[in-house]
Amino acid sequence: MSPKNINLKIGYIKRIRILYGVITLIVAIFVIRLFYVQIIKYSEYKNAALSYQLKQYQIPAIRGLIEAKDGNQIVPIVLNQTLYTLYADPQYTKNLQSIADKISSVIGGSKSFYANQMATPHEEYVILAKKLTQNQSNKILSFKIPGIGTQPNAYRAYPDGSLAAQLLGFVNPSGQGEYGIEQALNKELAGKPGRVKAITDASGVPLPATNGNIETAPVNGSNVVLTINLGMQEQLEQILAKDYKSTKSQGLSAIIMNPSNGQIVAMANYPTYDPANYQNVTNPKLFENAAITDAIEPGSVMKTLTTPAALNLGVIQPNTSFFDPAHWVVDGFNITDIKIDGGPREQNIASILALSLNTGAVWMLMQMGGGQIDQKGMDAWYNYMVNHYRLGQITGIEQGYESAGYVPKPNMSDPSIDLTYANSAFGQGVQLTALQLAAADSSIINGGTYYQPTLVAETISPSGKVTINQPKVLVRNVVSPQVGSDMIPLEENVVQAYLKGGFSFMNFPPQYMVGGKTGTAQVAKPGGGYYTNIFNGTYTGFVGGNKPQYVIDVYNIKPNVPGYAGSYGGQPVFADIAHMLINEGYVAPKTN
Amino acid sequence: MTYSSSLAMNRTRYSGRNRNSVSFALTKRKIGPISNTIILVVLACLLGLIYLTQVTKTNTYGYQIANLQTKQQQLENQKQNLEVAQAQLQSLNRVQNSSVAKSMVAVTPSATLTQ
Repeated sequence: MSPKNINLKIGYIKRIRILYGVITLIVAIFVIRLFYVQIIKYSEYKNAALSYQLKQYQIPAIRGLIEAKDGNQIVPIVLNQTLYTLYADPQYTKNLQSIADKISSVIGGSKSFYANQMATPHEEYVILAKKLTQNQSNKILSFKIPGIGTQPNAYRAYPDGSLAAQLLGFVNPSGQGEYGIEQALNKELAGKPGRVKAITDASGVPLPATNGNIETAPVNGSNVVLTINLGMQEQLEQILAKDYKSTKSQGLSAIIMNPSNGQIVAMANYPTYDPANYQNVTNPKLFENAAITDAIEPGSVMKTLTTPAALNLGVIQPNTSFFDPAHWVVDGFNITDIKIDGGPREQNIASILALSLNTGAVWMLMQMGGGQIDQKGMDAWYNYMVNHYRLGQITGIEQGYESAGYVPKPNMSDPSIDLTYANSAFGQGVQLTALQLAAADSSIINGGTYYQPTLVAETISPSGKVTINQPKVLVRNVVSPQVGSDMIPLEENVVQAYLKGGFSFMNFPPQYMVGGKTGTAQVAKPGGGYYTNIFNGTYTGFVGGNKPQYVIDVYNIKPNVPGYAGSYGGQPVFADIAHMLINEGYVAPKTN
Repeated sequence: MTYSSSLAMNRTRYSGRNRNSVSFALTKRKIGPISNTIILVVLACLLGLIYLTQVTKTNTYGYQIANLQTKQQQLENQKQNLEVAQAQLQSLNRVQNSSVAKSMVAVTPSATLTQ
């Protein structure tokens, strides 16, 4: 090899070595930099990256349906529906009139409203319309208008409109049940939302090829089947709407209850509201199921509780007679009857109920003690009210905002306790909800078993498992079966007495047993005392064949009627309901 | 003796000092450091390419899943809407106001007529 070639080769080797050194240096720089970024700054960069890439979503659970019996089948009365909110980003919308025309061609509405909304300055989100159907949403999106979009929202749908609205309640935009069943059984209905935690791309789509993605499936809510009979509920609401007007009422509530298991088969109030448009309601009182949220002084319907208590204590018998002085003076106050019943004379238990004798009710309270209003009598009566009839405490029905009512304690240090207890014997000075009264009367009529009132027949889990809500006994031996049997003819006698007195609407066919009791309750003034011209009309009664099949309770708030509120405000509503139950074949007639 | 071994013996016989001859003996080839580096880089690139292909392929399933979930959601919404429509068609108000119901005659049991 010539020296020239040798030098050339040495030059090549040198350059290759230099190149090799440069490459090694560059690689070393990369390695050092990567070491710095990936090892030393690992946590910092990881957190920074995750903050952009790691997304957490909640997968909403599907809320359970609410269903009810319609004849022999179970039908949904509250369902779920996804509707769409149409929105615009005014920063992107151009040719507003053209866009408004296109939107109006799909969903109708005011074109000028849409155009004005889209012309809102300095806004990036304006709502153009709510509750669009999926078809409407798809049609509008098919126009591909820049700045126009739709957003899905979950709503509850009510195919029967306002039927049983206050009993059902509604679901607020946060997905929480408000009032009624929706509130009381929110946990069961709502289910448990699922969760996705994943690395996503820029548009938020999870990338499966990454470690640590977590997806927890949602647990959908259970369906709830109510005890109410839809046909009966519909007719009850029609009756209340009619009688609300005819009695010029300020509020009307009624309950139809099965006394043999505590199930509510119909419960309604008037006025009511449309739960699909609850946001339009200006008076939140309309949301309340007044039959369970509003406790009032019930008036003489209380005698259907005082009488069996005295009978069960054995201090009176169904045929007991006594001398009625027509008034009692208690704590300096004169207790008289609301009716003028002929002054002092011999009376009996049947006439206490038929003539609604306040003095008779006070006399029964006296018999519970030592022949006068005393500690023994008050303790006994308090025991019956609270421990037998479960007054002064919530029943535990599946409804929001249930009222406990009020029962005064027999506190002898209260200087007016005698008067308070005398009043309580005929339904003043105590407060009961219509439901408490219905449940207590049911426990007497059925022979002494207090069933927890319930609106739930069964729940159906997402997997289809059916859990039947068995009747729950809260108190046994409320009264003896004999006392329960004794009360039936006593209350039937009241109906017959009114029929004889000219209340023709209280005429029922002989193959049915119908009994009841009116109540004309004085209304307390806010500052103390009672109004002299304002009364609540109440009624408690039953209808059946061989035995009472339904207990019916009516609370008519401040009706404007030409007569006693109980007789002319509560009783006609009861009669309408009882006739409806009989005429529609809901009641099995007597078999003998 | 095989044919190839006989050839090898003949070549050995005639070879000697200062004689040009062709050697058929196998020489050991060496790969230099640059080649090594290039091969390693190429291999690393290949591995990276395979990895990226697989990751991309897997991630496209994410889009397919997202699309299917969207379709599933739309179908569920349609199902909900149909259920609501069905319930509305069967609602008491609608049945009550139907032409069939309106043509019905109310029958009140004679025994319950109020006087």
